[in-house]
Parts: sequence; C-alpha cells; structure tokens
Amino acid sequence: MYGTLDVSTSGMIAQRTRMEVIASNIANSGTIENAQGEYEPYLRRAAMFSPVSTNGVGMGVEVAEIQIQEGATRAEYRPEHPFADESGYLQVPDIDPTVEWVNGLQASRAYEANIVAAETTKNMMAQALRLLA
Amino acid sequence: MLISDLSTSGAMPAAEMLLKFAGQRQKIIAHNIANIDTPGFQVKNADPKAFQEMLGDAIDRRREKNGGAFGALEWKETAEIHRVGGQGSMDFELRPSTSSGGILHHDRNDRDLERMMQEMVENATAYRVAADLLRSQRNQLQNAIAQRVI
Repeated sequence: MYGTLDVSTSGMIAQRTRMEVIASNIANSGTIENAQGEYEPYLRRAAMFSPVSTNGVGMGVEVAEIQIQEGATRAEYRPEHPFADESGYLQVPDIDPTVEWVNGLQASRAYEANIVAAETTKNMMAQALRLLA
Repeated sequence: MLISDLSTSGAMPAAEMLLKFAGQRQKIIAHNIANIDTPGFQVKNADPKAFQEMLGDAIDRRREKNGGAFGALEWKETAEIHRVGGQGSMDFELRPSTSSGGILHHDRNDRDLERMMQEMVENATAYRVAADLLRSQRNQLQNAIAQRVI
C-alpha cells in the first residue's frame, strides 16, 4: 500500500498541468506579439506524458516536457496589418478551440478517475487501520 | 503452544496473503489509471485467478501435511508473484505482466477504463474481506487469551 496514493496524486498533477497548458492555448489563440512587442506568433503547447517507474515498479505518470509545437501557425490574409508580409498574409497561431475543449474534457475525466482511485486507496487504508482498533 | 502456532492457525495465513496481494495490486491498478492518457502505455495486471489457484494449492498441501487447518502455508512462486527474503519467507512482491489483445487506441495506449474500474472495485472488496477476516480471527484469539466467553 505504500506509495499507492503517490501514484494517484501524480496522475492528478499531470492532468492538472495538461489543463493549464490547454487554458494557455485558448487564452493565447490570438497572440502574435511576444513580451517585447516583436512579431512572434504564439506556438501551441502540448504536455507530453511519460510513465514513472522505480526499480521496475510503476509509480505513476509525469509530464516529461511541455512541447512547443514548431510551425503551429496558419496564414491569414490581413494586408492592412503592420506585421503582414509582402503578399498580405499574417502568421497567426493555429489553435482550434474545439480540439482544446475536447482535450480539456478528457483531462478532467482522467482527473476524476484518479480521484476515484485515491478514494479507494484511502478506504483500504482505513480498513487496514481498523485491524488495530 | 508456540506464539507462531497462534498466528498460523485457521484462515489467518491465507487472509494475510490476500491482504498483501490486494494491497500491492491496488498500486498496479492506480498506476494504470494514472497513465490513462500516456501514449504508448500498456496496461499491466497481476492475475487474481492465478493467485487464487496458488493459494488454494498451498492450503490443500497444508491440510495434507498437517492433517488440519493449522501450520504455516508453504506457497510456490509464480510468474507474477516473487518471494522476498529467504526460503520459506511469507513476504512477496508482485511483478505484473502486460496483457495483450486489448483494443489499441490511436495513441497506442490499450486502456480500458471500465475494466480498470471493475478491477479496482473487486480488489478493494477482496482487501476488505481479508481485513475483516483477520480482525475477527484476532478477536477470537483475544477472547480466548482473556478467557472471555461471549
């Protein structure tokens, strides 16, 4: 039983990080400038999960990296924009809110599943404690 | 009567083994649930049927050897259940295997959420059964030691 709660918590943390990445993508779906005001369209981020093991025993999941997806922009025809190129096209972030929203649904369901697992482990630990009482 | 004879009578050794098995299996199931969205992950499992067979085998052998339901259980290692400590140790660790033949999702993860939840519920129930059994056996022992008659 030792470490079982750690496993479920790692799952919750990973899914919560994924939600933050999704929220950042949605919030920045129109961002084309960086902090210094230079032209730098926001590139979509994605959380990469990988399983964690200690000595061959599975110990949950971790966010291996938050990948910045190169080339995740699309061209929009905006000839009047100061940052548009010679043909009048502007590179804007290629973020589809529907895709982000569905990923967010999946992340929140996975978070719930991990909570259920943690609750079950808690109940089992309570059973073990009742052995002594 | 030695102290060790008190703790190896009746259903106590089997209940202890079931408790340990279910406790370790819960970690494996929690690991599967935490990795629901990990690409390329394969669900691991420690087969409870194989454990049941191994335990039933050990109980039968004990009955043959001692002529009754007492004495230490001598259990055999299986592919997934490895002994920890020296010969005759009752401690073990689970080495789960990856089951094949499930549905592979587009991210090459073969998760099956409903199956995982079912396994978790059944495992928690088995743990509860073992804990309740152990507690009632201990209470009986305590009553006997205290010479109480209910």
